[in-house]
Order: sequence, then C-alpha cells, then structure tokens
Amino acid sequence: MSWLRRSSAPLAWALLLVTLMLLMPRLEEGFRLIAPDARTLIYQRDSFASLVANHLLVVGVASLCAILLGMGAAILVTRPWGRDFLPLVSQLASIGQTFPPVAVLALAVPVLGFGSVPTIVALVLYGLLPIVRNTLVGIQGISPGVMESAHGMGMSGRQILWQVELPLARPVILAGIRTSVTINIATAAIGSTIGARTLGDPIIAGIVNGNTAFILQGAILIALLALCVDSLFERLQ
Amino acid sequence: MPDQSGAAPALIELDAVTKRFGDATAVDAISLAIPRGELCVLVGTSGCGKSTTLRMINRLIEHSSGQIRIDGQQIRDVDEQRLRRRIGYAIQSTGLFPHWTVARNIGLVPRLLRWPAARIAARVSELLALLGLDEDEFAGKYPHQLSGGQAQRVGVARALAADPEILLMDEPFGALDPITRESLQDELLRLQARLHKTIVFVTHDMDEALKLADRLVVMDTGRIVQQGSAAALLQAPANAFVESLLGGRDRGLKHAALTRVAERMRPLTDAQAGGPAVDTLGVSADDSLRQALSLMLWHGVDSLLVSDTQGQVVGSLSLQDAVVERNTRA
Repeated sequence: MSWLRRSSAPLAWALLLVTLMLLMPRLEEGFRLIAPDARTLIYQRDSFASLVANHLLVVGVASLCAILLGMGAAILVTRPWGRDFLPLVSQLASIGQTFPPVAVLALAVPVLGFGSVPTIVALVLYGLLPIVRNTLVGIQGISPGVMESAHGMGMSGRQILWQVELPLARPVILAGIRTSVTINIATAAIGSTIGARTLGDPIIAGIVNGNTAFILQGAILIALLALCVDSLFERLQ
Repeated sequence: MPDQSGAAPALIELDAVTKRFGDATAVDAISLAIPRGELCVLVGTSGCGKSTTLRMINRLIEHSSGQIRIDGQQIRDVDEQRLRRRIGYAIQSTGLFPHWTVARNIGLVPRLLRWPAARIAARVSELLALLGLDEDEFAGKYPHQLSGGQAQRVGVARALAADPEILLMDEPFGALDPITRESLQDELLRLQARLHKTIVFVTHDMDEALKLADRLVVMDTGRIVQQGSAAALLQAPANAFVESLLGGRDRGLKHAALTRVAERMRPLTDAQAGGPAVDTLGVSADDSLRQALSLMLWHGVDSLLVSDTQGQVVGSLSLQDAVVERNTRA
C-alpha cells in the first residue's frame, strides 16, 4: 500500500499541475472570491502551459550547469592533486548561496542583458552550494578502510571514482541535487523581473496591478511544480 | 613450486629503508630479507613503524630512502597499480565494498586484471570453498550481512583472488573476538601449509605472532630490535623490551605453547618399563606442552598418557619430562 502511494506521488502531482494549468481560465468564478475588484481575473498574456515549459527550461538548464560545475568541483578537490583547493571551493560555494539572487540579477543585466541568460547565471550560483557540499560530504564520508583497500587492490584513480566513490556517495549527492533543484524552481520566479518568461510573470503582474488572483495563480503552479519534481527525486533516492 | 630450503633467494628485500613524515622518522634504516614461502610477522607496540613498513611494500606509502626489492626488482620501477595487483592485501577493517556482493568483492582484482568472466566465477567459487564459506549462502550476500569472522574470511579470499605470490596482512584479526580470532589463525596456518605464500603479517599481539610466525621481527621506534624464530626469541631475547613484549614471567608458558608434546614424551616401551600407567588422562602428541601442563595442573596429576591422531597410546609424559628437556638433563 505504501509502495503504491510512494510510487504514484509524482504522477499525482503532475496530473494536478497539468489539470490546473489547462483549467486556469475556467476558474474565473473561484478567483472572483479572492479578488472581487480586479478587472481581469485570469492572467492571459501567455498561456500557462508555455510559462510552465519555459520555467522548467530555465530551471533545467541552470540545474544541469550547477550539477556539472558543483560535482565537478567537489570531485576535483577530493583528488590527491586538488586537495589544496578544497577550502577555496567550499567557501566559494557558500558565498554563492549567501549572495542574494536578486543582486546577482541586477549585476548580471548590464553584462548579459535582459532575459533568461542572467536568470540562469543567478540560479546556477544559488544552486551550487547544496551540490558541492553534499558531494564533498558523500565522498569524504566513505570509510577509510574501503578507500585503503581500493588503493591496495590496485584500482586506478578513475576506477575508484566510478566504482567506489560515486556509487557510495550517490544517496548524499542526490539529496543535494534535490535541494538545489527544488529551491531553484521557487527562485526562478524572480527571473520575471528582468524579462525571463517564467511562472513569476503572473506574480509580478499581480503585484504591479494589485491583483491577488494573478499572484495566486503563479504561486500555486510554482508550488505544484516544486512538489512534482521533489517527489520524483524522492523516488530516485 | 615452493622451495623452502634456506638457499632460496629472498623474495622481498628491504635494504636500509627509511620513512620520514616531516621531521619524524617512522621507519629508520631497516633491512630485512623475507624468503619465498615464509610467514614473517612484524610485531611491536603501536607506533613502532610496523604498519608503515608493511604499507611501503605495496607502495601505499612511498619510502623516503633505501631500497625495497621484490624478486630482485626495485618496486619504484614498477607501476604502482600493477605492483599492487600482484600483492594480496588484507586489513583489520576488511575494507570490503559495502555496495558489492561477496562474490563481486572477491572477484575485484581478477576483474582489474581483465580475466574472462567464466574464469573469475570459477575462481570465486574456489576461494569461497577454500575459506569454508558456502557459495549458495554467501556469494550473493552484502558485507553488512556478514559476521566479523565471515567478513574477514571474505577479505582474505579477496586478497588471494588473483593468486598473488605475496600476501600483506595488517592486523587482519585484530578486531575479532578471541574465539573467532583463534579459529582464523588456525585457518591461516592451514591455508599457508597448502599455498606456501610469502606472507608479511603485522600484529601487536605477541601470542598471535608466536603462533603464526616462521620468523618474528620485533620492531621498536622504527627499528628492528630482534628477528628470528619464535623459539629463538623466547630463548634469548635481545633486550628488556623484547623480553617484556614476550610476556616477562609468562615466557615459560609461551615457550611451552610452541613445543609439541611429541618432542618431550617417552615412547611407549620406555613407559612400560618405568612402571604401570598412572591413569586414563591423555593428551595428543600434537598438543602443545602448555596444554599438557594445564591438564596436569587441573587434574592434579604428574603424568599423562600420550596418544597419536588415531587415538592409539604412543607414550607418556611426566611433569619432569615436560619441565626439563631430557638431553640437557643428562
């Protein structure tokens, strides 16, 4: 029974997301209860389906970059010849997360212009920390005896990485990626302030026009998207 | 294949080998020659450099100066991965890969050496049988499902997998309970009688060292203090340190543990001439003198009948015989 619940959770969230996405225009009566004064009650400048798709694209590209960069950096600094850079990399990753994404956007616009690219840059920086940290913890948490015998049996560095370190660190690394992606699904909404088309669009429009219904529509879809992806990761782990 | 005559050239040679960590000298210019087929035990207190010495042989630690040669070839000249694949390695924590089954763990080195799958599978079955692990029961298990003794057996099987000439063992039985430890020591001796590997074995347990060693190497603060057979060390410890390591006043019993009853007993005809048999208590000719003495103490008798492996009485052992060697008495 619990297996059924677990395995069907991502599907259930995805169904709910698609249903709401498509039925949003028909929910006008419902939103009237929340925002009785507004003239338009459903955000209509772009279809919700295209906003969801673009939101996913931005988060997807940013997460892929963060995974490659984050895991790559963590793997490099746990090699014998990269160990000197270990403190530097963990500090850089922490700074990446303490730096507010809005500030990154503001700084990125003059260089990269408006749109999705600066948003992706901000998301990559913001999503690096959990991935770097968990990859480091996962690799460094492997029992010294296992590492010693891997070397002692004559495995090469690459064989140890692929056959021992990554498989053993996998659950911890996946947990980091999960955190990173989930956070970025929510954070991506701020990309709308600089012209990236994301589910932040209705939220920004709602704030500008004082339209609570818009804000809710964006927020609900973002939350469902996050839950959907999060439950997918839960199955992977 | 094994030539155990003294003339055989040493398989492993250490020549003035030194290891420095920063300012500290862990191993100080030691020289050691280990012949083919010998079980050499490095023994000493923790921090004496015995583990460092062992790990320099498979280059897990690079030596600072001196030469280490295997089969006449300097190990510095051999690719370290190729070197290690030729040398079995077993450690106290077993180091089994927790995400691999027992069979896959054992097949690790043969896989690294790119043996064909069928040959690896056959070798794994062979090793499981050799170490007394039922293949159907254990091949598919994961390390966390094994007891300490079973895990260590698998660790030894993995070390033997590619049939290396040399086996390095770093306190392999140190974390086991006394009973399991003893049975694995017996197992190792049984294996060694069959396989004639060249084994370097590190331990801080002198009883273990005395029991296993063809040659004991006592180390202290990075130097070799004394080396020789167990009996030789017991008879003439080089200094107070070796003596205390050998158990001080327990030395007599440790020596007795190394002597077989057969060496001291009077053959049957002699015993009959000496008078009637005292009682039905008996020891086996293969038992140690220590076990015989213990039996005498426990039962309050001063002589025992000695039987052979078939249970046939072959002689007797008196307290006098046990305590004083006959040829030195006369």
